[in-house]
Amino acid sequence: MTPEQTFGHYSGAEKPCEYLTMVFSPLSVPLRSRWRNNGLSADFLGDYVTTFLPAGNGTAAAYIQTEIRHAVTYIANELLENAMKYHEHTADIPIGLHLELCADHITVSATNGVGPNQAERYRTFIENILNEGDVSQRIVQQLEDTAAGKDSSSSCLGLLTIMNDYGAELGWHFEQHATFQELMTVTTRAVLRLKMLTGVAA
Amino acid sequence: MKTIGGENFEVRLDEDNFTVFFKGALRLSGMEDYAPILDMLKSTLANPEAPIVLDLRELDFLNSSGITMFSRFVIEARDRSGVTLQFLATEAVPWQHRSLKNLQRLMPSLQICLS
Repeated sequence: MTPEQTFGHYSGAEKPCEYLTMVFSPLSVPLRSRWRNNGLSADFLGDYVTTFLPAGNGTAAAYIQTEIRHAVTYIANELLENAMKYHEHTADIPIGLHLELCADHITVSATNGVGPNQAERYRTFIENILNEGDVSQRIVQQLEDTAAGKDSSSSCLGLLTIMNDYGAELGWHFEQHATFQELMTVTTRAVLRLKMLTGVAA
Repeated sequence: MKTIGGENFEVRLDEDNFTVFFKGALRLSGMEDYAPILDMLKSTLANPEAPIVLDLRELDFLNSSGITMFSRFVIEARDRSGVTLQFLATEAVPWQHRSLKNLQRLMPSLQICLS
């Protein structure tokens, strides 16, 4: 097992202006019973971030607030849904959701534990989308394949839409778990450039 | 009128007008959970005498599994001859202007009316 690997846009830690971390205990009740918590948590992050956006009563300020709140909520929801679905349930590894706000970008990331097989499947998917020239075409192909029954999993669609529909840069970090050395923790990180999202600098 | 409801959403079929209204936030966990809604949508394809309308203007949130659900319906509509499909959407709800274009690429004749 490679102890550490990064893919895509994954730079080291930089000093955030503001940050917020939520940590979820491993699933002690079935995921289905706590599915609603994903939405509640994502909505919270989306609302939270608006506190730090420029205030204003004009149409432009309202538009920026709505777009950024929605983008953060959508991305947090997709990353958390994936982290919960693919988390390795056999070990006591928490699931994390982390938000960072900087002057010109917002970062949303989710961390969960994975076994060797899941880690390999995820790495293959990541390499495929990083080699894909046209993400929008990949989305269309994925939707066609899913409808035709060629691909029963729609989980990667969330990541593709984060890249294509919201213009976010994705990066991944795999790291061998310090205690459960047969397992890894994987962090999926989305960086939203505010200028890209709203057409104006925040 | 047929209705499917959940904690934060409602889907209502007006059979006389081939119109399905969506309201709230759809974030179900996968295709199995979306099956009843997809079945309701597919029921409009049986013998449409008028354009089929999906009114999304009050659907504030849709997760990627929901996008997959809509795509399956759109592909099924595309693959039947003579079906006219129209989505009513609004600029005020960000996911609609960001993600609906993916569905239009599946079915170029899909009309998306953004208000």
